[in-house]
Amino acid sequence: MDFRLTQDQIDLREAIRDYLSGEHGPEVLRRLDAEGNRDAAIWDGLVGMGLTGLLVPETQGGLGMGLVEAALIAIELGRANVSEPLADTALVAAPLLDEAQQADVAAGTLKVALGHPINPWIADLDQAGLLYAGGIARPAPDAGQSVETVDPLRRLFAATPVAEDDRLLDRAALIAAAQLIGAAERMLELATDYAKTREQFGQQIGQFQAIKHHLATVAVKLEFARPVVLRAAFAAQNDHARTPIHVSHAKVAATDAAMLSAETAIQVHGAMGYTYEVDLHFWMKRCWALAGAWGDRAFHQRRIEAAVVDGGMTIGPDTTFESELHHG
Amino acid sequence: MDLNYTTEQQAFRAEVRDWMRANVPAQPLKTLEGREGYDQHVEWERKLASGNWGMVTWPEAYGGRGLDLIRWLIFEEEYWGAGAPLRANQNGIFLLGPTIMEYGTDEQKARFLTPMAKGELMWAQAWSEPNAGSDMAAIRTVAVRDGDHYVVTGQKTWSSRASFADWGFGLFRTEPDSKRHKGLSFILFDLNSPGVTRRPIRQLHGEPGFAELFFDEVRVPVANRIAGEGEGWNVAMATAGFERGLMLRSPARFQAMAKRLVELYRQHRDTASPQAREAVLQAWQDAEAYALNTYSVAATVMAGGHIGAEASLNKIFWSELDRAAHRAAMSLLGAGAELRSLADGSENSWLEGYIFSLSGPIYAGSNEIQRNIIAERLLGLPR
Ligand SMILES: Cc1cc2nc3c(=O)[nH]c(=O)nc-3n(C[C@H](O)[C@H](O)[C@H](O)COP(=O)(O)OP(=O)(O)OC[C@H]3O[C@@H](n4cnc5c(N)ncnc54)[C@H](O)[C@@H]3O)c2cc1C
Repeated sequence: MDFRLTQDQIDLREAIRDYLSGEHGPEVLRRLDAEGNRDAAIWDGLVGMGLTGLLVPETQGGLGMGLVEAALIAIELGRANVSEPLADTALVAAPLLDEAQQADVAAGTLKVALGHPINPWIADLDQAGLLYAGGIARPAPDAGQSVETVDPLRRLFAATPVAEDDRLLDRAALIAAAQLIGAAERMLELATDYAKTREQFGQQIGQFQAIKHHLATVAVKLEFARPVVLRAAFAAQNDHARTPIHVSHAKVAATDAAMLSAETAIQVHGAMGYTYEVDLHFWMKRCWALAGAWGDRAFHQRRIEAAVVDGGMTIGPDTTFESELHHG
Repeated sequence: MDLNYTTEQQAFRAEVRDWMRANVPAQPLKTLEGREGYDQHVEWERKLASGNWGMVTWPEAYGGRGLDLIRWLIFEEEYWGAGAPLRANQNGIFLLGPTIMEYGTDEQKARFLTPMAKGELMWAQAWSEPNAGSDMAAIRTVAVRDGDHYVVTGQKTWSSRASFADWGFGLFRTEPDSKRHKGLSFILFDLNSPGVTRRPIRQLHGEPGFAELFFDEVRVPVANRIAGEGEGWNVAMATAGFERGLMLRSPARFQAMAKRLVELYRQHRDTASPQAREAVLQAWQDAEAYALNTYSVAATVMAGGHIGAEASLNKIFWSELDRAAHRAAMSLLGAGAELRSLADGSENSWLEGYIFSLSGPIYAGSNEIQRNIIAERLLGLPR
């Protein structure tokens, strides 16, 4: 039992964070928003960092890592608000594909879209070579016209309903939760930085206790959402029986933290927060999008209720982690 | 990251489980905040000590088992899972004990730690004064040096269980005319010393749990001072950190509560409001989240890390979780929530718990004070 990241995991995260903060700052988001929202150079950069091969076995040209690393990277993608279909392709679909497809994903030449009846729309279908749905990867159909969404950098396409796939749902909800954590972290930072610079009544607004308490409340929420997401990732990586419940918990906790962070951040920014001119809105809108994707809060709460209240899942102090004694 | 228990950890869990099954009192004890219940709880402390379970993380030399924090968490899970009573000596074992271990002399360690682990010396905490609550640096009670004694004069208040405890610890002004957090010393005193008067204060639930303490020229040996004269503030801050941090509110306690809450929800589901349903699910999730975070902090501390202002995040989280969960239980009980005993004749411990949960956001440094600490020390906002 050691609930710490390994040094390798920390190094990986730092490397990606450094790269993204250098190559994918807010000015990139503004450019993408103004000029059209996908840019091959950004994808190539992510491929160059090895991210498309993160979960692909080394024999297929990947890094052979697991879902814990995937969650860590997804947090970074959320922090940087990356919109390229990297999360869906590399962090969700890749391990579910065959060897040849995995090799193409690792090489960066294949993008994969995800279909599931829980989502009425499919993200980045026009970019995708494959549509993974109902446990099968097929050549992606014609995407048709995109539907407009609140998130200026997200691209959605109407799709015909496809078969259920719990494994896909759990993995995608986990990766969405991790991105929400990253977005929540970033918005807390944006708001904190703003509170240190904006002055009213002759002082920094961050000196006002009302502002301090708003931000501290977000910090508490986030602190207790992160380990929930990491446990879900660990459970999914090890195929634990409780994975669906841990993932649902992660999605609820991350959504709540991100929504609170967003609402607090706009409040702290005052009217500036209500404009297109500050960077905040990009993250806020991504939160609104991810909060509803892959099962909204109500869906995941119902899943938890079904297991914890009705399903007779053993709960209590000795059931925090899977262990043989639980059933004794 | 490896979230699997080792074989040794599993074996340890089984050992604790067996002992608890054989020894936890079949009937719940009376409340710790009244004389009769307090005595029952002290008896339980001694029983625990007889099994060598008084304080499992302490060194064996002081009656402990020298276990690491993960095994402490496992111990706590089995303890609360078995429905064992509250710890009557929490001030001693969770707050003063670690303080003495860090700042005490060898003589002080030998004198106080073992009796604490054995449940032979029960402790009260005496920081607060009528005009020094959140503003602890406003403490006025003085301890004037007279040879190898201090002479203590003044008043403390809100001292939990000081009505019944044997000894107290607190901060006193040892430098006359010193200001704020300078000139304070951390001193232990015998509550039965001549010149100490205890006036019990009835708490919200009617029990005489707190006491006000009056000191009238009480003579306390200088040997009872922890760390140097005038260094009390820093020592007290460390103690306060223990209080907010890992030990005092182990997650297992809230997980056991959440489990009972889910059972209550099952019984009252037909009449439960959507808000109560939501609150029950939230309470279970928050108790889990609190446990996960604690495992993560424990692993960091075991690897040499330190908890600083992060303890304030903890304190807010458990106190608000506790209050929200008990509020949900009151809602599920509906009109019956006000009754002291439930339909089956058992005590309405949800009512008792709800009342107590209201104090969580106040004591151990109010949540407003914790939010200031988080904003200034963790987020770096200006003072
Ligand atoms: C059940 C219980 C057990 C206790 N046990 C002990 C004990 O064993 N030993 C002991 O010494 N004390 C004990 N206390 C006292 C406790 O530590 C104090 O109540 C606490 O520190 C708050 O002080 P106060 O009650 O004087 O409130 P005040 O300081 O008067 O505060 C009143 C309100 O003002 C707010 N406030 C005060 N200052 C600020 C600020 N700077 N910014 C924002 N808001 C502020 C507070 O948050 C609170 O909401 C206990 C209290 C309770 C309820």
